[in-house]
Amino acid sequence: MMTQITQLNDLDSGWAWQPWEPSEQEPWDRRRAALLLRRAGFGATESEIQAALQKTPAECIDRMFQIEGDETAQFEVESSELAASMIAGGEAKSLSIWWLHRMLHSPQHLLEKMTLFWHGHFATGAEKVLDPDLMLNQNKLLRRYALGDFRAMVHGIAKDPAMLIYLDSVTNRKAHPNENFARELMELFCIGEGHYSEADVQQLARCFTGWEIRRKNFRFNPYQHDSGMKQLLGTEVETGESAIDQVLAHSKLPYFIVRKLFHFFVCDEPKPTDALLEPLANQFASDGLSVSGVLKKILGSRLMLSNWCMARKVRSPVELSIGLMQTMQVTSNLAQLSNRLQEIGQALFFPPNVKGWDGGRAWVNSSTLVGRANLVYQLIRDDKTRFAGGSLNDWLQKQAISESDAFLNWFSDLFLAVPISDAQRMRLRKSIEGQSGDRMFREMISLLAAMPQFQLS
Amino acid sequence: MKTTNATRRKFLGGSFAASAGLAIGSPVPGPWMRALASGVSNSERILVVIQLSGGNDGLNTVIPYSSDEYRKARPKLAIAKNDVLKIDSDLGLHPSLGGASKLLEQGRMSIVQGVGYKSPNRSHFESMDIWHTCSRKEERGSEGWLGRWIGSQSSVKQTDSLGLHLGSEQQPLALAARGVQVPSIASIDQFRLKVADDTQVGDTMLPESNQDLKQMNDDDELLGFLQASTESAIAASKRLEKALKKPDTQSEFPQSGLGEKLRVISRLILAGLSTRVYYVTLDGFDTHSQQPVAHAGLLRQWGDALNAFVQRMERAGQADRILVMTFSEFGRRVQENASEGTDHGAAAPVFFAGCPLSKPLVGSLPSLTDLEDGDLKFHTDFRSVYATVVKNWFEEKSDRVLGESFPTLNLFS
Repeated sequence: MMTQITQLNDLDSGWAWQPWEPSEQEPWDRRRAALLLRRAGFGATESEIQAALQKTPAECIDRMFQIEGDETAQFEVESSELAASMIAGGEAKSLSIWWLHRMLHSPQHLLEKMTLFWHGHFATGAEKVLDPDLMLNQNKLLRRYALGDFRAMVHGIAKDPAMLIYLDSVTNRKAHPNENFARELMELFCIGEGHYSEADVQQLARCFTGWEIRRKNFRFNPYQHDSGMKQLLGTEVETGESAIDQVLAHSKLPYFIVRKLFHFFVCDEPKPTDALLEPLANQFASDGLSVSGVLKKILGSRLMLSNWCMARKVRSPVELSIGLMQTMQVTSNLAQLSNRLQEIGQALFFPPNVKGWDGGRAWVNSSTLVGRANLVYQLIRDDKTRFAGGSLNDWLQKQAISESDAFLNWFSDLFLAVPISDAQRMRLRKSIEGQSGDRMFREMISLLAAMPQFQLS
Repeated sequence: MKTTNATRRKFLGGSFAASAGLAIGSPVPGPWMRALASGVSNSERILVVIQLSGGNDGLNTVIPYSSDEYRKARPKLAIAKNDVLKIDSDLGLHPSLGGASKLLEQGRMSIVQGVGYKSPNRSHFESMDIWHTCSRKEERGSEGWLGRWIGSQSSVKQTDSLGLHLGSEQQPLALAARGVQVPSIASIDQFRLKVADDTQVGDTMLPESNQDLKQMNDDDELLGFLQASTESAIAASKRLEKALKKPDTQSEFPQSGLGEKLRVISRLILAGLSTRVYYVTLDGFDTHSQQPVAHAGLLRQWGDALNAFVQRMERAGQADRILVMTFSEFGRRVQENASEGTDHGAAAPVFFAGCPLSKPLVGSLPSLTDLEDGDLKFHTDFRSVYATVVKNWFEEKSDRVLGESFPTLNLFS
């Protein structure tokens, strides 16, 4: 059996997606549990890591899909109150605070992570939609299907008022169809560029004529609908719904979606071959485009939990900040955080364009690197910042961490995919010389945030 | 090129304290690391690229105001003949392009018409990538055309980064280069590392080696990339802080996103930065619906900012070494849609401004009746436009940058 991965695309796909088993080289330890929990969520506390180590990875993953009912009820009350107060302000920007609060405090980490995935996939920008109510409703739609039925999600999104406004479907009339939504449905949401023709775009746009919004709701206007037959992807269709089904039946669709899931959870680089993705695509197709099965397969796989997989992803701004906050049980000023996330390239509800965030190396440039370090610097120093409700000193004492080396070891295990080197350790020690207590640890965290490893998941 | 530890120490140390705490170690090839002692050359030519993202409606920018076909195709969107800022008896600029029309009058603007490429792709992302890399998806490498030019300059002694992207959006692929990190900077104010304010590391650069990196992960390119990016970020942050210390009291830039970006660029140029390529974008040109107001606003922003920039350079006696190129990933369909907008099209004009240029219009407007899938046909390959920049502006061979040779245009006087 192969245990050492060198080249991703040399891997036997039959091997890669089998359930991972611990071995001498790859034990089920704190670092690996931390890898699984941050990729499938954002960050994990020491006690969450300890709890995970009491189970097998498969049990941990099953559990991620099962959290519901009583455990979430209280949180949902809190969250919907926050949503109401944010909506009342009338600004879509404030909604981001509501979502950051969810990511930070919802017991369903994977659900929030996948909702973020779909937000990037069905990217819709509030700068054009304007109405926060509609943005919130779309977010709820994405969450409803995030771990479930992709087919239902696409049908839902095609009639989602925020999406209709964003891609100009609202004004798609019989006489002159508007191609915007039709194009992106195929190019970015379902099939990928190069697998359909310009004629398909024009025909598909005809199918959606008359899909309008009335008082914030979807409405079909038969007077503006072109009811002629359309040739789409080699088949005759008439209605928008049947056209969506036709797009959903495209043979490239399972590959297009699992490829994105692969990059979101496993690694930024290199690009996987279709051969490597085949078992995932087959499962997604045979599950009738239900997401949970293929997601479980990815998360519990030999590839996902291998040593190779460590440090293969650049943290997104949200992963970086929410991950750090969860690991150190931080609560803080989320309005500030929301502004800073925008500065470093990930404003929730304001993706850069309909393609969403590219991720990987695209997160990184001179500005965002300085911005990431500044974000952590300010977060750690903000008056409102608390660690499990108290001061940093008290929190560290509870963790039985009293000196810098112990902190670095603990931090490396739980938050860094690549441990800091001896040379870096020496330089860090030098730069905090003469400082002690709270101030020293704050300084150290700020310096860590400017290191290359801090950016890797 | 190899940089010694001593040079690195000198370069990264000094007042910019925190840098010492950051680097893992590994000599980084990159313009910031090169030739620290060389002087700044003021006579070097500069290219500023303005990318209009979303697909600018070329037909409502440079308007065939006397054409019946134009009016037929644009019953709601056609610009009235009397409102057009006339260039000649057939063509004129959109009425909100007053700024640009001043540049035309001064002989400091030239419009290349009918630019595009064969079998046009109408996806924003794919077409933009084609413009950035000069290649199709199937044969695409990881470098952009400007990145290839930057990479080819490795023998040139250079104090500052050769390229600089100003903007909060993702760095344009055009600037991607192998082995060189082009900095992207969202705003000058945010571009100061705060932890450096209270950490005193001084010149203490402890022994470091490639082994540091190697130990961590055998083949981790991603970490190497982050290492190089971190060093480039710190160097750029330090340089710009210094360059922008003195305020510029003479500038009058419009208060707009693009105006602010061009204002910063003008200050960097006047501060003597030896950067050769500046890149900025203006987004919002994807006008599928309610085009008139949005398009007019965007064109005004572009024209006014561009005019202010060139005038500022002119007042400083620097305009002759400045070339500003403005392009978009495609034009828009000739026939308007039902939403008072236009869908994705093909051929469109490319604009040059700055130094004295040969004539206002280069090439003719493509026919409005002989269309390809409802779109204007191109007659000038965009790589010919690039070839003109590389060969006649940078005065270097263009085939290495563009993959093959292309005929150049008669652009400069």
